[in-house]
Amino acid sequence: MEDLLFCSRYPFTRKAKECAERIGIGLSSSVIEKAEKRLREAAVEGRIRKVAEIPEAMREELAVYATCRMIISSASSRYLIGRYAVAEAKRAREYLDSDELSKPENIDAVAEDLGLAFEKAEDGFLLPFWLYLPFTPRSLDYKLSNRQLAAGKVLVKRSERRRIIEEAVRIRIESSLPIKADFPKEIQEAGKRILGILPKLEASALRLDERDYPPCIRKLLEDLAMNANVPHIGRVALAIYLVNAGLSDDKIVDFFRHAPDFSEKITRYQVEHVRAKKYRMASCSTMDSWGLCVADCRCGNPLNYKESVHGKRLKAEGKKVE
Amino acid sequence: MAGEAMGKEEAHVRKLFSKYYSENKIAMPSAHMREFGFGGWDKKIEFRHIAVPGEAELMAKLALEAPLYVSYSVAYYQFPSARPMVRKGWRGADLVFDLDAPEHSCGKFTCQECLDKVKQDAIKLIEDFLLPDFGFSKSELSANFSGGRGYHVHVKSQAVEQLDRSARREIADYIAGTGLDFDRLFWEDGKKLFGPKPSDGGYGGKFAREYLRRLDDEEFAQQISRKLSKPEEKARLKSAIQQGNWDNIGIANRKRKLREKFEEMRLTLAGRIDANVTADITKLIRMPNSLHGGSGLCAKSIPSLKLDGFEPMRDAQAFRQGSLKIKAAESIPEVPGIVPEKMPAGKIAEVPQAQAAYLLCKKAAVLAD
Repeated sequence: MEDLLFCSRYPFTRKAKECAERIGIGLSSSVIEKAEKRLREAAVEGRIRKVAEIPEAMREELAVYATCRMIISSASSRYLIGRYAVAEAKRAREYLDSDELSKPENIDAVAEDLGLAFEKAEDGFLLPFWLYLPFTPRSLDYKLSNRQLAAGKVLVKRSERRRIIEEAVRIRIESSLPIKADFPKEIQEAGKRILGILPKLEASALRLDERDYPPCIRKLLEDLAMNANVPHIGRVALAIYLVNAGLSDDKIVDFFRHAPDFSEKITRYQVEHVRAKKYRMASCSTMDSWGLCVADCRCGNPLNYKESVHGKRLKAEGKKVE
Repeated sequence: MAGEAMGKEEAHVRKLFSKYYSENKIAMPSAHMREFGFGGWDKKIEFRHIAVPGEAELMAKLALEAPLYVSYSVAYYQFPSARPMVRKGWRGADLVFDLDAPEHSCGKFTCQECLDKVKQDAIKLIEDFLLPDFGFSKSELSANFSGGRGYHVHVKSQAVEQLDRSARREIADYIAGTGLDFDRLFWEDGKKLFGPKPSDGGYGGKFAREYLRRLDDEEFAQQISRKLSKPEEKARLKSAIQQGNWDNIGIANRKRKLREKFEEMRLTLAGRIDANVTADITKLIRMPNSLHGGSGLCAKSIPSLKLDGFEPMRDAQAFRQGSLKIKAAESIPEVPGIVPEKMPAGKIAEVPQAQAAYLLCKKAAVLAD
């Protein structure tokens, strides 16, 4: 019973997975319906509602969770996966917050399951810095410079421990999806239905008929339009390119509108900054060292790219653009 | 070389380099997973995306081609020669730190003062940060002279191999004190001022320990408060700081004074390490114990991290035999350890091979014959 409670609250743990395998998961229409509801909540509201913690419902929760993973894999939308992982992590965080008072051992168990080796200290917990860094936001509060670091371990407060676990949950879920498998017809249909409710991406934001955008820039634009998370350095490179390519601030800001963390104010400020500072476009080799080069088009600098010259050569040499 | 005929100076240096690489076996762990870059007379990295099956093949290649600079990737790849970078299959990377002598008027012939200063920075990086704060063991660290005017510190540890660019930048930022918000270390409660304990980790603990140590210095103590001339007052303050209570004697303008003292202590390595190098998970960096085409010196690794007694101009020489007649192409200053006396422009002299290589590589001299 205790186990079941833990597993239904934290279905992403290995323990929950074992538990679900033990119980065996049936694909009833009720389970699929509830899974769709869970995904809809995640996609639309960004959060997942809790259910009553009675044994049948908890057992069903495990089946619902597994079904959500299948549906989302079948739908295979990076945007949906990102939204869903955030919502699942938030749901877990709510349980972590309440368990902190009533069942602190649950928090230890979730942390351990995620490989987060917290160590109890006098005034908080110690976490090795290599586990701390990947799961903390880049803010002044969490900045390593402002933290107590000794012997490779960072001191974190009780509430920060839960924040770190939340991020680790998000990353575990996001990186474990999509599952590659052939799903039953009911799942595929549910996948299609869930795709149908996603906010329609405005096609206007992405015009790839600008023929002379080089492959690396096109990839960045596509990623943004697909709501994938583009790293900071990629956004900077893209903004510099677009400014230099002669686009207006408004038009450039529009390209960023679909980023999962879009903020009009910040984006506008950054684009204006790029323009004011007259940043020069990074060369191809610099783009490559940033991991942004996707094709060996040999144009030297993305601004030099001409579809009629480099694009033809790429095709002639049979080079595939990643 | 780029198709042009090689000058006789370059040809001579290449001959020396080739001999060095055929006579010395240089350790290059995981050579088959690294990308290499070679440089020539005018460019430090002329060719990159070079892959080798192993250490022995690398040494043979170096002896044959005698590149003037040899760099290797801090990253481990599945396919080191693949292009573009995303196809290389990144498997992880060492954590590296690049320390360069500060900008100074000495210019081309880095002066002793600058060399000492950057050496002290490297020692501080290891002893104040990498060992105590980051908890690395000595066996995970290695340090080498860059061959030019600085030092590189490499960390090989499974713990950090997988860290991404932004995590590595956080590490560099910590060491440089970037984003450090001093005001967060202290908080006031009425008359009381609470702050870090000497046993704390991070900059708080560093500051508390250094502050307690310096309170023993009369001048320092007087700058904090005149009351500290009384030994019992000083003892009272010191024991309070042990508990994180920073003012039990009534110090005027205490927060401003603490901030000034913090700045004065220079606990960070601000401006002394290149954060971009540390953050770059695909960086090509000088191969330890390879030769540097800008100085003819060896990027010598320093055994057991014993930087203290290391004098690069003396200890990083690679050519200890023979001599060569050269002509100074410009006015050359004395460079302790390698150029024993000044050479006015146009002077012809037969000098030891290491000195000749140094000046030819600096393009400050030409062959005299």
